[in-house]
Amino acid sequence: MAPTSCSLCRDAKAILKRPKTGQQICKDCFFFVFETEVHHTITESELFKPGDRVAIGASGGKDSTVLAYVMKTLNERYNYGLDLFLLSIDEGITGYRDDSLETVKRNQQQYDMPLKILSYDELYGWTMDAIVEQIGKKNNCTFCGVFRRQALDRGAASLNVDHIVTGHNADDIAETVLMNIMRGDIARLGRCTLICTQGEDTIKRSKPFKYAYEKEIVMYAYFKKLDYFSTECIYSPDAYRGHARTFLKDLEAARPSAIIDIIHSGEAFEVKEEIKAAQKAQQTCKRCGYMSSNDLCKACTLLEGLERGMASSVITDRARKKMDAIGPAPDNIRTIPLFRSTPTIAVELPSQS
Amino acid sequence: MSSCGNPAVEEQALMPRRSKFGKSKDCVRCRLKPGNIVIRHAVYCKECFTPIVELKFRKALEPSVNARAGTSKRPKLKASGNLCLGFSGGLGSSILLDMVHNTYFSNQPPLDDSGKPRGGINHPRNASVWPSCIVCYVEVCGAFPGMQDKTEDIRTIVEQYPSFDFVPLRIEDAFDESWWTKVSGSNSTPQVWLELSKEGLITDGLHVASKVTGLTPVEAIRLYLSSLPTQTAISSALQNLTRVLILHTAHSGGSSHLLFGSSLTSLSISLLSAISQGGGYAIREELQEEWAPVATSGSKPSNVLRVIRPLRDVTAKECAVYAWWNNVSVIGRDKQRRAILGIAALTKNFVVGLEKDYPSTVSTIARTCEKLEPKDAPSGQCRLCKRPMQSAIQEWKGRISIRSYSDDKLAADLAHIPLPCRSNLDTSTPSQVPPLLALTDFLCYSCHTTLTSRSSRGVKQTAPGISSVTPLPIWVGDRGLHGDGLMGGGARRKIPEQEMLDTVANFLIDKQDDEE
Repeated sequence: MAPTSCSLCRDAKAILKRPKTGQQICKDCFFFVFETEVHHTITESELFKPGDRVAIGASGGKDSTVLAYVMKTLNERYNYGLDLFLLSIDEGITGYRDDSLETVKRNQQQYDMPLKILSYDELYGWTMDAIVEQIGKKNNCTFCGVFRRQALDRGAASLNVDHIVTGHNADDIAETVLMNIMRGDIARLGRCTLICTQGEDTIKRSKPFKYAYEKEIVMYAYFKKLDYFSTECIYSPDAYRGHARTFLKDLEAARPSAIIDIIHSGEAFEVKEEIKAAQKAQQTCKRCGYMSSNDLCKACTLLEGLERGMASSVITDRARKKMDAIGPAPDNIRTIPLFRSTPTIAVELPSQS
Repeated sequence: MSSCGNPAVEEQALMPRRSKFGKSKDCVRCRLKPGNIVIRHAVYCKECFTPIVELKFRKALEPSVNARAGTSKRPKLKASGNLCLGFSGGLGSSILLDMVHNTYFSNQPPLDDSGKPRGGINHPRNASVWPSCIVCYVEVCGAFPGMQDKTEDIRTIVEQYPSFDFVPLRIEDAFDESWWTKVSGSNSTPQVWLELSKEGLITDGLHVASKVTGLTPVEAIRLYLSSLPTQTAISSALQNLTRVLILHTAHSGGSSHLLFGSSLTSLSISLLSAISQGGGYAIREELQEEWAPVATSGSKPSNVLRVIRPLRDVTAKECAVYAWWNNVSVIGRDKQRRAILGIAALTKNFVVGLEKDYPSTVSTIARTCEKLEPKDAPSGQCRLCKRPMQSAIQEWKGRISIRSYSDDKLAADLAHIPLPCRSNLDTSTPSQVPPLLALTDFLCYSCHTTLTSRSSRGVKQTAPGISSVTPLPIWVGDRGLHGDGLMGGGARRKIPEQEMLDTVANFLIDKQDDEE
């Protein structure tokens, strides 16, 4: 059988089939279309402006490793004018996070970017290993996700950056849409397909890989011989998200466009006005100053639960009220330090006269 | 709650089983009799269960019966037209038939404990809400060789309810001009044909082909289904064809309401399946919709048909128990056994499986989708599925994937194409010949994906190369939509010579004479 020519350049021999489009293309065309699609995602959403300081959330995994490489490549190719940093969070998972942090340190050398590592231990006084020891393997992703979000914002604030980018890919977004529908999380469903999110007092956060298939990211890393840490978090198999992930893989096998189709569905609808009006307004946490929809933010609530030995009971609002009914928090528990994002100070230029 | 000990040491170290119901084994409604069934941790006896289900049915249906909501809290129910029931032979639609008959068409009004009509004979509840009711069934055996025709079995079921008129349809009616003439009043609606690739699948460009004649409706539907690229597309196409056939039949028959027997379980499955196939824009319509065919310009707007799923708060388990205790006959739907499952079947397996570990899954999915609405106003009605269509779909698809280097928006990026790939690059200006007529801009995202999105598994049933074109359902070429340029009237185009020849070929005595 004669070798197939690349569907794009019609010259070189096709050596791979794009998971996203099914086209058979050559390696160089694959690099080009992958990078250019990310570039289009960035420019059409107007994510950055020249001079922006951008922190790349780096875990040492394939998504963040490829993201760092592609951001550096596009920044140079298209003169975005960005200052890029690597920001990594150490959750304190023995045998998992310590290995992936070594990968991030290697990335720092390879891409010549400044690196900051922030740990749960220094920020909250708890590692994920200690948390799981107390609450077991159910709901631990809730703790990790909430703590990591704040940790990224705090790390970015200390670096004085304008923007955080994360390696969330199309598969992650599609999984999140399905998961939020299955769990009835209408607040998250309304914003999970946004490419860029920003709270009143938090740093802008974007997902340049929003339309990039996970398989293509792996393919890119493989052909570019990029160095990354490939093991899944040891606590993730019991997570609810695993159900959505398994379902999504089945859908993708039945029809590869299902991933993009789900994202399109998520972008096509929004929460009804009367439901939005009934949702809690955003306020500021009374303890640490982070954004919150209650008096205390979720991170402070979870940490208080851990400190008081009632961690499993604070996952829901009802459980929180039960804990409050027992009595106020003791004075000697560990709390999260006060959060201050980079203040925006308008600078008035001196007049020329 | 006690924690697990070591069973080897302690006798009673096993975790006590979590109780399936709340406090007591007695019925929560009457509190007199012992319960017979547990529905979401609530216990009901047999006598209380049926009224509970019927109440859910009426609460889901009755607010939509009257044309206008009015101010009265308990208005007299009077619909503006007839009633149409979509019947598949499955559990939900069998129960729907039974409940509609018992509630609105049986001569016996509901009785109180003393045996007299509740509210008296003259109570508004006991007056007829709809003057008549038709039951539509769509037989799909024409699409699959060797499949059994169940029309007569279904007729037997419907005849148990003498107030109902049975209207049998066939799936191939979607390709039958005579059926279309009957329901729409349009004569000589042109059939739209699409070009096929060498593999026998619909091309990505959805190019409209020259008219082909000589196919029977059965041949046409089999050719159409065989040109679809995935099992998911076949399931979705059959679902759409069935729905649109019933919509048009109900509307043309003067119905004001069309009811489907989707239970909460099957509704949740169809919502999740629709989202997985890119149908998020029409999620509201998946729950409940007000539908009318697109009117021709200058004509009066058509009467609106309200499409309702009154069993949407009743789970499959409740439906099964209701059918068992009330002796409702259920024929069942014929399920295609296929080695490759489409998205609809995968979603069903997933939701039913997840419901075992997370019992509120189906209700959560339905409740969540009820809180959603489309972001933008529709740009028209999809020609294939007759649902609202979002704008700029192709632009969105083009933005997120690069499929060709000849795309205009890549012009600025072409300088960065690697050198080895530049030698055969075609950067010449596009030809002056106008592009082929394409269906792309007349379809919603979901239908476009159904026709074009491929899978490596493939589903080709007939040998490729037998036909180079495939027909589309007759309503796609409805002249009522001529304003948007698909079938002439609106947009003008130069007719190629070959198309003229095709039209007059039968009238030419000798082609050679013509050429001379």
